[in-house]
Amino acid sequence: MELIGYSCAYVPVEILAATGLKPHRLLHGEIKMAQDGEKYARVDACPLVKSTLSYVVEHREEFRCLVGGSGCDMARRMFDILGKIVDIPTLVIDNPRTDRFSIYSDEIDWLQKELGNITGNKITADAIQKEILRWEALRRHFRTLDEKRRAQPSLISTADFHKAVVNYHKGEIDFPPFIPEKSSDKPRVYFLGSALPYEANPALMLFEERLRIVGDNNCGLSRFLNINCAETTLDGLKKAYYDQPPCIMKRPNRPFYEHVTRQIRELECRGVIAWTLDYCDNYEFELKRLENRIDLPVLRIRSDLSFQNLAQLKTRIEAFAEML
Amino acid sequence: MIRPVEYIRNPPPAKISIEAWTEQFEKVPDEEIKRYTYYHNNDWGRYLFPPVLFMVYGARELKRLKLDNSFAALRMWGFVFNETERLFRAGQSDKKVIATMGDLGIIPIIIQSFPNCVPFYPECIWWTPFFRESTEMLDFATKLGIPEAACFSRAALSAFHKRAYFPRPEMVIASTGASCDDYSCIMQQVEDLGYEPLWIEIPLRRESQKYLSADKYENAGYPARFEDYLINEYKTVWNKMTALTGINNLNRLKDSIIKANRLRGMVEEMKNIAGQAENQPLPALEMMTIEFGNLYGYADMDEWINIVEMLLDLVRERVAKKVGVLDRNAVPVAWVTPSADPYLLNLVEDLGGRVVATEYVINQALVPVEENIDPFRALARAFMKSSLNGSTSERVKRITGIAGSGQIKGVIITNMLGASHCAMETRLIEKELQSVPVLAIDVPAPFGITEQIRTRIEAFMEMIR
Repeated sequence: MELIGYSCAYVPVEILAATGLKPHRLLHGEIKMAQDGEKYARVDACPLVKSTLSYVVEHREEFRCLVGGSGCDMARRMFDILGKIVDIPTLVIDNPRTDRFSIYSDEIDWLQKELGNITGNKITADAIQKEILRWEALRRHFRTLDEKRRAQPSLISTADFHKAVVNYHKGEIDFPPFIPEKSSDKPRVYFLGSALPYEANPALMLFEERLRIVGDNNCGLSRFLNINCAETTLDGLKKAYYDQPPCIMKRPNRPFYEHVTRQIRELECRGVIAWTLDYCDNYEFELKRLENRIDLPVLRIRSDLSFQNLAQLKTRIEAFAEML
Repeated sequence: MIRPVEYIRNPPPAKISIEAWTEQFEKVPDEEIKRYTYYHNNDWGRYLFPPVLFMVYGARELKRLKLDNSFAALRMWGFVFNETERLFRAGQSDKKVIATMGDLGIIPIIIQSFPNCVPFYPECIWWTPFFRESTEMLDFATKLGIPEAACFSRAALSAFHKRAYFPRPEMVIASTGASCDDYSCIMQQVEDLGYEPLWIEIPLRRESQKYLSADKYENAGYPARFEDYLINEYKTVWNKMTALTGINNLNRLKDSIIKANRLRGMVEEMKNIAGQAENQPLPALEMMTIEFGNLYGYADMDEWINIVEMLLDLVRERVAKKVGVLDRNAVPVAWVTPSADPYLLNLVEDLGGRVVATEYVINQALVPVEENIDPFRALARAFMKSSLNGSTSERVKRITGIAGSGQIKGVIITNMLGASHCAMETRLIEKELQSVPVLAIDVPAPFGITEQIRTRIEAFMEMIR
């Protein structure tokens, strides 16, 4: 099945799936691909964006269409570059940073029409309803698993959880996920920051050698569980995606902090891992504010998607775990 | 015999050092100094001082810079360097000082429709660390949490914190959305300093593609509804200003647009005739400073218009006389993205370059605003031509348009390490401008221009000569 690539948590996956194409979130990130991406973007671009550029170029035959959002500047401009280097229709929705639901609503209407025109499959209300039911059932299943991850003691590791959610993001949703239980009494921590690429699972495994991540707010991890579509209509879908706990790039971003601090409190976390990709403005600029708002130890991890500094990273994680 | 005033007004064009300016300033008669004031105030509104005064006040880079020797340029620099004093005076004299952040060129037109309201752009502080040859403001921003690899506009956050560069604004209007991330993040931090910014949404300018058919594009090059989004935003600003001042007179907005257009028209003419002149009539640094004046008239639009009028007369005169400030064989180049370090513009000229076309990410401040339609729609349409909310090819199309014509022999792009649009646009710009050589330079921190950068520019100039 041909793929429809997408990059943003505000792009409703159900509309993409209603085209008959397989939604595939563009979360491919590893150092070699990032370096290859420097043909198209400077070295100081986000490594996930650079990786995605090379991934799409290499797999261009697999994609029928690409969909993005204007949320993060580099991600938005990534589609500008892709529009020049691959012959794939690229649709970028104007995802407002401020609270402007009407803009978002118009843009989703536009996306629905445009995708219908491009793919030749008119996206009907029935098709949307069917996809909402299908994806919502899967999210419900994941929420049940997430309860186990959040339990006291935590029964599922985030590294294993990540392996399962990769399938959701790649549109492989026909089989319900299974995650083996591994109870843990390690210090409970919360994970937040930049998007977590598919290839970053070893980083989670490394963190969880000494810690247990029991909650997160990352694209690529469990953020999609916040999408709770109660009405099986396009309007219901818009509301569900718009009302998700806001991305840090929203202005003002007070609601973001309210959400994560509430989660951290509810999950009884003892520390926070702040994962930022190099040059990720939206998180890097916020780290100090984050520390001021979260009255817990924060382990800052800045990544270029390589694991060159593995030994140093291990030592830092161990020291952090001891501190907790 | 040439009288002193005439000589001062019309010396043979040259770029001169600060010492030479000090000497020349002594010839300026007192009555001439008294004639020029900001806010029309004869008691405390004088701004005509020798550049050395501003050096003593901290603009240390002036000792390395060469400035145009005309009286008009002297007047311009006096006015520009006087801005901090002017803003504090505004605060002391019952004017309302409004910080307009992020939109670069449109919202001040609304603010200027309200009497005694003075808009300014805190981000324009980004030149200050370079003029001061000091990283202190940038380092302080880092202490406040801004990464080192970020746009130099981070100096604005330090300025808000220190309260020494502008008075506490009565209102902060922060434009965000389809624009650069760095400044959006900085504006968010300003909130922590006790401000409640009025957030304004910048819509994406989604351009037509052959496979897009759901929206009507008409002639604008983007879907019409994006204009409507902006109109709503501008009406919100208007209503807030009405609430602040008690005044609601749309005729004043129309007048403000006419005034902005007058300035924009003069600057456009100046750029055109300077770019096509046999000899460069004004140095690149002065030209950049003039271009950025379109944003908000350096906090006194009326006086700035008078200054630009004088500069335009000077340019016309020099062009007519076929005289200029550079060697006639200087190599014409285009400049993309403004340099935070003014010295770089001097350096390119010293090494044989001549800047004849620019794209300084402020296109929205340069285009004319329509005068015969609803003023809010006119402002929205002008903003929709902005540099940063659309595609890179649209942004640089003016440069690509002349790249193959022989009018320019090369393009210089100045970048900031870590700035979101620089990281993503530079390769695309290079691709768009394949018909001419392109030199991309990362602007280093203040006082950081090295021999290596000098050598790169020198080699580039030799190559394209």
